Amino acid sequence: MTIDQSLDQAIDAGLLADAVRQFEVERFYTTEAALLDQRRFPEWVALFSDDVHYFMPIRRTRLLRQIDQEFTRPGEMAFFDETKELLQGRVAKVMCGTAWAEDPPSRTRHIITNVQVVAEHADGLDVHTNFLLYRTRLKSEETTWIGSRRDSLRRHEGSFLISKREVLLEQTVLLSQNLSNFF
Amino acid sequence: MTIEADQAEGLVSLERGELDRTIFSDPEIFERELTTIFARSWLFLCHESQIKKKGDFFEAAMGRDNVLVVRQRDGSIKGLLNTCAHRGNAVCRAEEGNAKNFMCTYHGWTYDLSGELVGVPGLEELYHNQMPAAGLKQVAQLDTYRGFVFATMDAHAPPLAEFLGRTGRVSLDFIAAQGDMEVVPGIQKFIVPCNWKFAVDNLFDWYHPQITHLSAFQTGLLPATPDATGATMKTAGVLSPDGDDMQFPGGVVSGDAGDQLVFVDVYGHAISGPTVEAIGDFGGMIDHSWRNRPEAIEQLGSMALRSFGHANIFPTCWITPPFNQLSLRIPRGPMETEIWWFTFVHKDASPEQRAAAVSGAIHAFGPAGFLEQEDGENWAQSTLQTRGASSKLIPQVLSMNLGRGRVVNDQDGIDPPYIECSINEHAQLWTFVAWQEWLRDSSWSELRDRTVPPEVL
Repeated sequence: MTIDQSLDQAIDAGLLADAVRQFEVERFYTTEAALLDQRRFPEWVALFSDDVHYFMPIRRTRLLRQIDQEFTRPGEMAFFDETKELLQGRVAKVMCGTAWAEDPPSRTRHIITNVQVVAEHADGLDVHTNFLLYRTRLKSEETTWIGSRRDSLRRHEGSFLISKREVLLEQTVLLSQNLSNFF
Repeated sequence: MTIEADQAEGLVSLERGELDRTIFSDPEIFERELTTIFARSWLFLCHESQIKKKGDFFEAAMGRDNVLVVRQRDGSIKGLLNTCAHRGNAVCRAEEGNAKNFMCTYHGWTYDLSGELVGVPGLEELYHNQMPAAGLKQVAQLDTYRGFVFATMDAHAPPLAEFLGRTGRVSLDFIAAQGDMEVVPGIQKFIVPCNWKFAVDNLFDWYHPQITHLSAFQTGLLPATPDATGATMKTAGVLSPDGDDMQFPGGVVSGDAGDQLVFVDVYGHAISGPTVEAIGDFGGMIDHSWRNRPEAIEQLGSMALRSFGHANIFPTCWITPPFNQLSLRIPRGPMETEIWWFTFVHKDASPEQRAAAVSGAIHAFGPAGFLEQEDGENWAQSTLQTRGASSKLIPQVLSMNLGRGRVVNDQDGIDPPYIECSINEHAQLWTFVAWQEWLRDSSWSELRDRTVPPEVL
C-alpha cells in the first residue's frame, strides 16, 4: 500500500496527460499508415477535414545564407497542393481500375516515427512526424522517400481529423518517376 | 565499336515509318548524341524572369554539362560552365540563388559574376603573380528570344533566331504572345529511368491519352480531348484485362477531317496537336482569349494561331499550351532522363488567375499530375525492352497515317510548314528523321538542307 501511494505521488499529472495525448496521436497515425498500406484509400481520405490543405512543396538546394528560400510556398509551384475534393479525386482515380501507374499495385510500407506534439490549441494539436515511405513496383523498381509531415489535427469524435498537412521530402530533384502514392 | 556517320544512316526509315530500337539504349549512340546534338544545338536554359537582379543565377543543363546562367552587373546574361579551371570542381553547389562571386570550395579560386578568375590563394608565393587561368569557360553563344534564354556550345551554330526558324519561334510565342510572362517560383525536377527520346516522342502523341490517361478522364479529374463531331474512337477489339470492351472517352478522331495541325521544320522542330476549334475550352480550363490580341495574330500567323499543339524545339524543349508550361527532357544516361517543368503566368495575373494556372499545372503534369503519373512507366518499360537480344530486333513503328500528310511549305509567308490531318505520327517521325541527320555530325548548312521537310510525310 505505502509503495503504491508513493508511486501515485511520483506521477506528475501533467506528464500523465502528455502521455495519454501522445498515445492518442500515435494510435491515430498508426491507424492512418495501416489504411494506406492496406489500400483502404476511401477510409484514409475520410481522416481529413473538409477544409484540409495538403501541400508538398518543391525543395531546392540553396546556399546556407538563402536557406529560408529552400521550400516553395503555397501559391508557388509544388508537387501536391490539394483540397479535400482533389484528394478524393486522387483516391477515385487510383481505385477506378485504369490507373496504370498503380496497376499492378505498388507495394508500400509507411513507417511513421518521431511523433512530436509541438503545440496544443483549443480545438486540436500541431504535430510533426518523420516518415519513411518504401515502395517497390513490378520486378525490381524500388523507391524510398524519407521526410517529415507537419500536421494540424482537429479533435473529432474521440479521435482526430487532419486539417492541414505539409509534406517535406529530403529530396530536391525527385528520385522517382512519379508520385502515385499518398504521404 | 564507334558509330560512324554512315552507320547512323540505317537507324530511321522515313519511307517505312520505322526505327531501330537500339537507339533507345545503346550507350555508344548516347555518347554520340551528347557531342553531335547536345554540344551543338541551341538549348533552353531558363527564362529571364528567373534571374531578375544582378548576381541572380540558375543552374541549367546542357547535356551533361552544367551551366550557371548569371545576371551580370550591367544587366546582360552570361552562361558559365560550372567547373573550376583548376581541378574541375563545381564552383557553385546551389541550383539557384544570388551570388556576389563564385568561390571554389576546393582551393579557393574565386571567379566574379562574369566568370573571370579574380582570386587565387598564394598567387604571389606559388604562382609568382601570374594568374594560372583566365576564368570559367563560357558557352559559345548565348541569346534570348522574348525572355527565353538559350545557349549553344558551338561557336559555328547559326544565330538563335535562324535556328528557331518559324516553328521554333511560334512555339515560344504560344507563351510569349500572351504578354509579359514570368516563371512561377519552383521548377519541378524528377528522374525517369527511360531514354530521353521516348519522352520527346510522347509529347507529340495524341493517340495515347485515351488509354494511358484513361483514369484521369473516367474519374472526371480532367476532360478528355473532344472530337469536333462528337464521335469517339472505335475500340476495334481493344479489351480490358477483364475481357470487357473498353470505352474510350472522346478523342480527336475524324478521319482525314483535319482536326489536327502538324508543323515540321528544319533542324527537327515540330508541333503537333488539335486545332483550337477541336480542343474547345477543355471543360472551361483553357482561356484562348489571348489569341485575339493583335500582336498574337501578327506573331503567330493564321495557321499557328489555330494550333493547340505541343511544340518541341529540337532536341528537348517542349512547350505545352494548356497551362503555359515548358518542359525539358534532359539526357543523363542512355536509360536515365531528368524532366524539368517551368510554369508561366502573366506578370499582372490576378491572384485567382495565378492560383488557377498553378493548380492546373500541378494537377495535369509533373510527377503527381493526373496525366503524367502514368507516363513514366510506359517510357521506362519501353526503354527496358530495347535491350533484349530478340526484342531489340523488332522495329519501332511510327506508321500511323504515313504517306497521307501533305506538307504545305509556304516559303514566303509567316506560316511554318504545316500538315492538316487527323491523329498521326508525323511529328514523331520527323523528329527521328532529323535526329538521324544530327547524329551524322554534318556541317550546319548540310544539316539545314537535309532537314527541309519533304512534300509528304
